[in-house]
Amino acid sequence: MSDTHASDTQWPRYMVLHQEREDKPHQHAGTVHASDAEMALLNARDVFVRRPDCVSLWVVRADLIFARTQEELALNPDWLDNIQATSDRTEAYYVFAKLTQKAQFSHIGEVEAENPPHALKMALQKYPKTQGLVWWVFPVKVVLKSTPDDIAAMFSPAATKDFRDQANFHALSVLRKLMRDQKQEAE
Amino acid sequence: MNAELKQALIDYLLAMADDELILGHRNSEWCGHAPILEEDIAFANIALDEIGHAIVWYELAADLSREERDIFANRMVYFRGAPDYRNTQMVELPKGDWAFTMLRQYLFDQFEMVRLEKLAQSSYAPLAEAAAKIRTEEIYHLRHTQAWVRRLGLGTDESHRRMQTALNELMRYYEQLFSPSLADTLLFQANMVPFQTELMVHTLELIVPFLVEANLIPPRGSNFVGPNDVIYRHEHTEHLNDLLSNLQQVARLDPMAKW
Repeated sequence: MSDTHASDTQWPRYMVLHQEREDKPHQHAGTVHASDAEMALLNARDVFVRRPDCVSLWVVRADLIFARTQEELALNPDWLDNIQATSDRTEAYYVFAKLTQKAQFSHIGEVEAENPPHALKMALQKYPKTQGLVWWVFPVKVVLKSTPDDIAAMFSPAATKDFRDQANFHALSVLRKLMRDQKQEAE
Repeated sequence: MNAELKQALIDYLLAMADDELILGHRNSEWCGHAPILEEDIAFANIALDEIGHAIVWYELAADLSREERDIFANRMVYFRGAPDYRNTQMVELPKGDWAFTMLRQYLFDQFEMVRLEKLAQSSYAPLAEAAAKIRTEEIYHLRHTQAWVRRLGLGTDESHRRMQTALNELMRYYEQLFSPSLADTLLFQANMVPFQTELMVHTLELIVPFLVEANLIPPRGSNFVGPNDVIYRHEHTEHLNDLLSNLQQVARLDPMAKW
């Protein structure tokens, strides 16, 4: 993940993580640009919660995410070994991973760590069976989250807005019917 | 419900619907032009919500008039001229800059929240139910517009100047939302709608401290106390004509067309 350059006049990028149901993990939905986290959360709702399948929304500044690919880790096998805890001042980190090329980043769990590389090392040790193509770690405290109180106002109204769901326009079946009718008229 | 009360309720619903429709249309003019892509999508959503709320109110008025909902709503929206519209002037003003748009939406949202809370207790059950439902959506609108007002009010010199200019302009029109009509008194006595003055007091209690916190000073005379010129809801600025000619253009090309 590239940092926001000083010369860049764009607002910072925020990663949007959404949870469709209580029993599913948070997943990466996409990114928004915003002046700050609160605005990012509000805009994330409008950009990514078009249908009602959302119970929780998180935003985190993209440049606060520490990311490593499987290839990067394989190229430097010693890199992780050299990371050692130096103090006992740790904080909680979220661990996300992309498990297949097609899948979005998905919430794997949490670790306690001193800094981002250390968090990644802890994650790899804690979740040895997880084959992450790419890993993300970021401090829990930098995430802005919707609250359960937000569900009613932010997410539920979308349930009644059929017009936002492209499936409801039946565009393909309408087109096919029009073409059939045209054909019949021609015959 | 006697005929007089029914007509008063229809008029009240139409006034609400017209405010939401015209504001929603003004907001929709930002589609493709908002400051950033994300906000473009967010604000287009809000515009659609307001138009959706207008439809709810038109439909309740249609039920009371014993008319088909679709036919009634289409006639109201597409085949009335400006003098027959009952929206306030505040919502028909051109969209202006982003500061003006956000501030107008905030002032309207806060007024609506206060009114919806009261309407949710209306003795007319269909109105109470609709108000309770719409209210959940308005909570989000208000959060969105408050976030913008705060940031623009406390932002740069330019953003603050634009906001203060917008506030000075909008406060001249805001009071009209709270002016009562004779019919409102009937509805109030039947416990169907809140008293306009009560709405005004509650709304001002909420917006004044919020604006001050955003470093925006309501202009003198905007406490709505004292002799102000009353604007009636059939009186419009020339801007409504422009808006309607745009909004109604296609429908009027072929009034008998089936959609």
